[in-house]
Amino acid sequence: MKRLLLILSLVVVSGLARGEAALDWTADEVRAVGSHGPWPPAPVRDPSNRISGSPAAAALGRHLFEEPRLSSRQVTCGDCHVAGRDWRDGRARGLGKVELDRRTPSLWNVGYQRWFGWDGAADSLWMQSLRPLLDVREMAGSAPAIARLLREDTALACGYERAFGERPGADDEKLLVDGAKALAAFQQTLVTPRTPFDDFRDALVAGDRAAALRYPVTAQRGLKLFVGRGNCATCHFGPLFTNGEFGDTGIPFFVRPGEVDSGRYGGIARLKASPYNRLGRYSDDVSGVTSTRTRHVEAQHRNFGEFRVPGLRQIGRTGPYMHDGSLATLEDVVKHYSTVSLDRLHSDGVPLVRPLGLTTEESADLLAFLRTLDADTPELPPPPPLCP
Amino acid sequence: MKNIALWVVLLPALLLGPAAARADQEMPIFDAHLHYSHDAWEVVPPQGFIEILRKANIRRALVSSSNNEGTRMLQDVAPLMIVPELRPYRSRGELATWARDPTVIPFVEGLLSRRKYVAIGEFHIYGADADLPNMRRIVELARQHGLFLHSHSDSAAVDRHFEQDPNARVLWAHSGFERPENVRAMLRKYPTLWCDLAFLTAHASNGRVTPGWREAFLEFPDRFLVGTDTFTPERLHYIAEHARWSRQWLSDLPRDVAEKIAFRNGERLFGGPPQ
Repeated sequence: MKRLLLILSLVVVSGLARGEAALDWTADEVRAVGSHGPWPPAPVRDPSNRISGSPAAAALGRHLFEEPRLSSRQVTCGDCHVAGRDWRDGRARGLGKVELDRRTPSLWNVGYQRWFGWDGAADSLWMQSLRPLLDVREMAGSAPAIARLLREDTALACGYERAFGERPGADDEKLLVDGAKALAAFQQTLVTPRTPFDDFRDALVAGDRAAALRYPVTAQRGLKLFVGRGNCATCHFGPLFTNGEFGDTGIPFFVRPGEVDSGRYGGIARLKASPYNRLGRYSDDVSGVTSTRTRHVEAQHRNFGEFRVPGLRQIGRTGPYMHDGSLATLEDVVKHYSTVSLDRLHSDGVPLVRPLGLTTEESADLLAFLRTLDADTPELPPPPPLCP
Repeated sequence: MKNIALWVVLLPALLLGPAAARADQEMPIFDAHLHYSHDAWEVVPPQGFIEILRKANIRRALVSSSNNEGTRMLQDVAPLMIVPELRPYRSRGELATWARDPTVIPFVEGLLSRRKYVAIGEFHIYGADADLPNMRRIVELARQHGLFLHSHSDSAAVDRHFEQDPNARVLWAHSGFERPENVRAMLRKYPTLWCDLAFLTAHASNGRVTPGWREAFLEFPDRFLVGTDTFTPERLHYIAEHARWSRQWLSDLPRDVAEKIAFRNGERLFGGPPQ
């Protein structure tokens, strides 16, 4: 009698006429679906960033995001993380001065992450924001140039003062980090709207049959697969549809002959070696509580070739897929997990990833569900002047 | 005076530190868990594989490959470095099906009739499946040909190997992913059981050997071997990093114990390089 009831189990005649139906959902399934919400979560605050959550900081960050003078190549953050394209560039691999080895990820919901970048080489969003600023293949900026800009540009200096409560100082490195903290404060505001899935999830949890009926039955079948036999929710769990960690999903990680992308393994080494991590002097978290993970994380053999488990909100709109953009469409992704080669997976314990062997109908159902994680997003109006 | 005392303590370390570190980097390795399978040959040709070993100062290595052609190619290039192991798989994906596949034994017997091997493995078998006819036949063939069994298995399967042949010589892949106290119990129980440490990280943290494993290494210094486990072609590029990591934690053990685990045990069991 584990089967839950009949709040939602009956096919409703009026619903049938419109092609609508509610499937049977067991108590366990309702619990599993419920764990993917509610949405949206509370706004994020990062104790390592003293201006996190401040509107003035987000405003400064927004301006900096579109500021070409941060880069010696006159490119902006927004050239790759394009506002009208779900904050990514749509390319298989990012394009800086040269083609990069990884895909430009979307910035939606980025503030809720625990580790940043495909390899988790950053433990805060401001630390992550420093990487493309300084990377010679990308923006190729420098601390002196960025500090000079913040000090000498009247509008930016004013925006800085409003965000930080003081005029830009003489320490170039500190100003570089502060610029990254403003960028982080802006990116933390990029939260996706509610989706058809969220409405269904809330209806299911509340036992609201009429509202649940509005969710397509194909998506319901796909959702059952997602939380059930597909085992997808083991890694893609919670409201963000990610465990925030890293995995080897059977995608090759050679980047060119004789060279591999070591993924999380190299990411941990870079994180530990960086002066900008949460253990360093630029963190504003005086309690040190948020640095615990950084202190204890240690590379393991399995991390070699692991990449971040991405969240799935807006997934239908943010292809191509995987860390290297090697799968062009969402259909390709479902096919990958349906047919993934055991040759590529280690047999240590029960593997999380295994070929699902989905039928054509099951694949279509899973895709239908995944597409209900997409939402139309309002256009971002141009930023108001920092100091009118 | 306090400063002088400090220098008395520090100076030898400062002088010897770099030398000790160099010595550790130079310590040879016998890698007891390498694969060079069908999908690796094109991306890393045999000569490239051997170069990787040489640069990492891996003196000899126990190598298997699905479908065994990779092992043959490596032997052709560097016969003195490669210790050949017969893998009962034609593709690596057979690890979940081989024990019930009637075509596996003829494949293995055919290879044994044509080439010399030192071990059969690495094969994957768990619990009561170790009593399946294919596994029993593999144990029998190992006895007939004087080969080690390289078994990726739980302790229940290892028990069955020894029930079938009390004189079997078993190299337990990944030490069964068991806790160190269980590994020690198995080593006490079976004098011809050895353990490889491939894909394990629990025995070392930040360059130090962890409690539990330290006791295991000190009680059984002759029974452990290191190994990388190159289960995908990309991992061939992890061999050198793994050797570096291994030397780091081995340096936390007494030198004689470290050397045994690093290379002496492998060379004693499977033969060393020519003198």
